[in-house]
Amino acid sequence: MINMMRAELYRLTKGFGFWFFWTASLGTSLISVLFKEPGGVSFGASFDYPPSLKMDIVQLGMNFTYYFLLIIPVYNLISAEFNEHTIKNTISSSISKNVYYLTKFIFTMLYSVVSYTLACYIFYLLNRVINGSKYSSPAGEFTKALFRQLPVIAGFVAVFILVAFFFRKGAVLNSVTIITPIVYTTVSLLLFGIKSTKNTAEHLLKYEISTVMSKMAVGCTDSYRMTCYTGIAVVAAASAVLGYLAFTRRELD
Amino acid sequence: MRETVLKTKGLTKSYGKFNALENADMSVYRGDIYGLIGCNGAGKTTFMKIVTGLTSQTSGEFEVFGKKGLAAEKERDRIGCLIENPAFFGNLTGYQNLKYYCYQKGITDLGQIDEALKLVSLTDAKNKKFKKYSLGMKQRLGIAFAMLDAPDIMVLDEPINGLDPIAISELRDTFRKLNQERGITIIISSHILSELYAVANRFLFIDHGRVLKEITKEELDLECCRCIVINTDDTKHCVTVIEQQGISDYKVIDSTEVRVYQENVKVSELNKALIMNDVTVNSITESGVSLEDYFKQLVGEVS
Repeated sequence: MINMMRAELYRLTKGFGFWFFWTASLGTSLISVLFKEPGGVSFGASFDYPPSLKMDIVQLGMNFTYYFLLIIPVYNLISAEFNEHTIKNTISSSISKNVYYLTKFIFTMLYSVVSYTLACYIFYLLNRVINGSKYSSPAGEFTKALFRQLPVIAGFVAVFILVAFFFRKGAVLNSVTIITPIVYTTVSLLLFGIKSTKNTAEHLLKYEISTVMSKMAVGCTDSYRMTCYTGIAVVAAASAVLGYLAFTRRELD
Repeated sequence: MRETVLKTKGLTKSYGKFNALENADMSVYRGDIYGLIGCNGAGKTTFMKIVTGLTSQTSGEFEVFGKKGLAAEKERDRIGCLIENPAFFGNLTGYQNLKYYCYQKGITDLGQIDEALKLVSLTDAKNKKFKKYSLGMKQRLGIAFAMLDAPDIMVLDEPINGLDPIAISELRDTFRKLNQERGITIIISSHILSELYAVANRFLFIDHGRVLKEITKEELDLECCRCIVINTDDTKHCVTVIEQQGISDYKVIDSTEVRVYQENVKVSELNKALIMNDVTVNSITESGVSLEDYFKQLVGEVS
């Protein structure tokens, strides 16, 4: 398993996706830092944050951009193996399907969460050095906000892994993962417009992924956080099991 | 007694009502170059996929180095494979692709990569991206991959596809070298009979998922080569007369059949000599078929 992870890390650094991820991450971080203006994308979260929050925490709340950027490592680590049919090289000579799945799941999850953490700390350091304490929170406060977000990151990466193993095609992974939050928000807003489904829509929007990410960083009630974490744990566990079944019970091409 | 490195018993793979492989029994011994001969869709790849863990059998079993089931799975790192088309990462060079698999297999001696690339004549193209490789180069990289970590068995599915005649000849030499110098057992499939004949020492004929015949090269030669087949009730007397005619290259097949392989022997003259010496000749015919005809005959007999 360790050998396979080492091999994956080697391959990852040779690909375009790796450099794109870090260039995009550093680029957006630098823009925010230099213009002293946090930025990002959202499908539901409000960007009206309390003025008491400093820029780095606000930026964490707006970090939904990473939902899209983290599709890249999942694509590189899993979908590329199906696209190029290289998976048969591994399965046929050194690693069983079970170990293969487990290794890919753990490594992709670890790599994605660590990459996000690292990217956030790079932003924090850049902001701290360039803009000073006026725009940055104490390290402990930033770390707390960041770590509250990590289960959310792990949750959606688990779903990405399921999609990658289930459909076995990079194009499907991209389209499904990119379109899902858009469809979710659109459906929620449509339901919001109908009187009888307004409550359901409000509930859906409350747990929309960019909203959850934002609230985890900038603050929310304990009960909301617990509900989110419970939901994420269920989704991640279900994704892991379904991905395993989808992969091990079907023939390899 | 030779060590059996791979043995299958009643190996069957079905997709719904279609049997891709049906009750396949075979044995591969250490040091063999074992040729799987069959048309497209005969079941060669299915057999290889089962043995290498890419798919599981519907019924039957197989042993790798005398081990079955999960224990056999653990022996898989002693097998180097090239199944179907060679597949590698297009954005990596040939060298980087092999390095990736070295890391994956825990191979610390990266010098093996250069050695494998040299054996398949890819040293000059090692820094070229895989997506820029020609089909022949891709095949050769696939073979280099199968050689990594000095496997005990190499399973190669149609490895000469897409190669030019010179490359085929070089590869044939490489297979012989790996087999003779490193003692690697090679299981190789092809539908190009002449190429397989040139390199293998044992053969398995397969068609529509069914094993037609498992045969050694010597037996195959015997069945295919041109000869005069004499059917007689008295082989002993028949052999005496044959020797009197100055013929030394012959073989007694069983109690009723003698085959004469010596060239320039005329059937009519031999028949005349046998009859004049009171040998009861039930039949005397000229025989001998090409590999292709032999295969066609086998397929015809079964179907």
